[in-house]
Amino acid sequence: MKKLVLLISLIAGLALAKTTITVGLDADPPNLDPVFSNALVDRQVQNQLYDKLVDLGSDLKIIPMLAQSWIVEESGTVYVFKLRQGVKFHDGTEFDANAVKFNLERSMTAEGSRRKGELSLVKEVKVVDKYTVQVTLKSAFAPFLAVLSDRSGMMVSPTAAQKYGKDFGNNPVGTGPFKFVERKRQDKIVLAANESYWQRGLPKVDELIYRPFPDDDVRLANLLSGAATVISPVAPKDLNSVRSNPDLNLFTFPGLGHQGVWLNVTKGAFANPVLRRAFAATINRETIDRVVFLGTALPSNGPFAPGSLGYDPKIAVPKQDISLAKKLLADAGKPGGFSFTLLTAPGPVLTQLAQVYQAMAAEAGIQIKIEQVEFGTLLDKTDKKDYEAALLGWSGRSDPDGNIYDFMRCGGPLNSSGYCNAKVDQLLNRARTIRLAEARAAIYSEALKIIQSDLPYIYVYHPQITIGASKRLAALPLVPDGILRFKSVEVK
Amino acid sequence: MIPFLLRRLLEGIPTLLLVTVLVFSITRILPGDPVRLMLGEETDPEIMREVRKSFGLDRPIPVQYAEWLYGLLLADLGRSLRDNTQVTKLIGDKLPTTIELSLLAIFFGTVIAIPAGVFSALHRGSWWDGGVTALALSGISIPNFFLGILLIYVFSLKLGWVPPSGYEEPWKNLGKNLSLMLLPAITLGSALAGGLTRLTRNSLLEVLSLDYIRTAQAKGLSKRVVIYKHALRNAAIPIVTVMGLQFGGLLGGAVVSEQIFSIPGFGRLVVDAVFNRDFPVLQGLVLVSALCIFVVNLTVDLLYAAIDPRITYS
Repeated sequence: MKKLVLLISLIAGLALAKTTITVGLDADPPNLDPVFSNALVDRQVQNQLYDKLVDLGSDLKIIPMLAQSWIVEESGTVYVFKLRQGVKFHDGTEFDANAVKFNLERSMTAEGSRRKGELSLVKEVKVVDKYTVQVTLKSAFAPFLAVLSDRSGMMVSPTAAQKYGKDFGNNPVGTGPFKFVERKRQDKIVLAANESYWQRGLPKVDELIYRPFPDDDVRLANLLSGAATVISPVAPKDLNSVRSNPDLNLFTFPGLGHQGVWLNVTKGAFANPVLRRAFAATINRETIDRVVFLGTALPSNGPFAPGSLGYDPKIAVPKQDISLAKKLLADAGKPGGFSFTLLTAPGPVLTQLAQVYQAMAAEAGIQIKIEQVEFGTLLDKTDKKDYEAALLGWSGRSDPDGNIYDFMRCGGPLNSSGYCNAKVDQLLNRARTIRLAEARAAIYSEALKIIQSDLPYIYVYHPQITIGASKRLAALPLVPDGILRFKSVEVK
Repeated sequence: MIPFLLRRLLEGIPTLLLVTVLVFSITRILPGDPVRLMLGEETDPEIMREVRKSFGLDRPIPVQYAEWLYGLLLADLGRSLRDNTQVTKLIGDKLPTTIELSLLAIFFGTVIAIPAGVFSALHRGSWWDGGVTALALSGISIPNFFLGILLIYVFSLKLGWVPPSGYEEPWKNLGKNLSLMLLPAITLGSALAGGLTRLTRNSLLEVLSLDYIRTAQAKGLSKRVVIYKHALRNAAIPIVTVMGLQFGGLLGGAVVSEQIFSIPGFGRLVVDAVFNRDFPVLQGLVLVSALCIFVVNLTVDLLYAAIDPRITYS
């Protein structure tokens, strides 16, 4: 009898034991409403709360999510989506074509919506029937599905969005595998399993807790002590601690972003393309990867990481060539070198990086003065073109357009260099309208060759995604966008 | 006492108004546009204009100030530019945490400093005195960020006694709250303990050399009564002054401890608001800080009268 009682209580105990995953991030997600969200880190939490019309696979291919299938008309301007049936939002509202129309229109029209730019080519969203939606674009826009695999494609409950208005971010409701429970700014965001999730048997854990640890050492300490189940990112200096720990797994894989140096082509020394080339020739990407990132940064040949449609392996990663740099300096009438100020945001890795650039440039006689300014000031100065060179990168998008269009076209909102080349503009605009992948890739390669010669930006490396996780965590998909998707993750 | 209090409260109003003008001007002078920072990677000029308008940042600064001041009269400090949360709610959530941390740090500092200072003064010139002084100097000199990481390494990672970081509300689980607050309070209180030990020692030594102490000893009072009733009470005025000043400083100085131990307090909110140019939050925080320091100073003034009956306010 006693044994039976013991067995029953043991089973009950097991049944009651709540499985929780605590995720340590490097920042507190500022806004959970996909329409008003900008920070990259928001997407870590949003991807558990909201399903999107389409998602990204580990190979960056677009895969179905709330849209089961879609047809793109020949012109490339009409998309017809067939929606999944029987899906409900966490508040019980049904997901259907009207919800899709509501969401896309909310993103396009809400005052201050951050999604207006990426959806600016949408002309009309039409409900064909309860589970069919037709989206008509003003002109063909090849990255459209990729846009819908991010925040523009996240579906929020129309009922909740209307109820909470601008406060929806603090009361988020989606159809995702996890439901919002509570949030304490700078402390934690708690999510609970959505027991009526449309994918049967998922999610496999009861609770997700996100906690911000801005300090690298503290983030690591929480992982090592078991207080956090998984952390991302892992600072380069901490990679060995995670790798050598028998209880932990370290995952590193190339992300979608790029890092490098903006050069202001509108004034100062770098208005001269020869001096831009001279400085670029001093950079040794392998050394940067080895010394600063301990082998976790991928030397880059452009804005597209391997795996991206735009990546062209035939374009070589530029090598350091000090004698070429000296020759170019002499050609530009500066045989003794020149000096410039390199702007960077604070932080141990950025400081080290700036110092490595400084040492490399000095080999050719180029003097770099490092100026560290707080991030807001850095953006202010680069926006106003009030700088000579600046360390600033991009988190990356799955479609190549998102990594180049706004940066390299004349007057692009993220074109910090002031660079303008009509031929590049023409190519980038053309690449947006063609649906054939190979043809698009060829156009990007052509544009990139011109950009590499003009050098408004020196592409130096692709940062890798680094994740440290307890070995108890199983089935974590590794997607190059760096978002941890927990719906099928198990805790052993 | 009442007229004194009223006068001090009335004097506080122009001071606080001046603080609001200063903080309003300084936040606007800072380079860095909150809208640009908030929009981060999406910088369409059209969207930027629209967001700026939706926050009212396109209007002249005096108009923005007047509106904010009007809101203040209605106890409305505006909403965060980041996530639309009410500033009063944010401050209401964070301030108690930092006050708890500061009080624990002061408690920790005082419990160590006063006995150590008394002990050191009574053993002046001995090895013990030297040892206490050296420890006090270490407390002052070791930077918070280093001590914090060191404590996490020893007590969380090596010994596993307390969790490395985090926060739990005291009303939900007091034991967990205290275990999580222990290391941050030690980190924050160590410099205070060091300074206070030195101050207690010096202040007590000064009082001990005065005539009335000799008189008390001559009357045959026990050493304990002489020290604790006569000497320490008279030495307490500078100690209380410094503790008051320190408390004000701790509210701001908790930034590093809160950052290291991931405590969602006032200090982290300040840092976050500065980096994101979250003007409404920053303005609210500076105002509340100024108010806290004002209240602490007033309390210290009132404590003087309680400690030393010769001091009266009229």
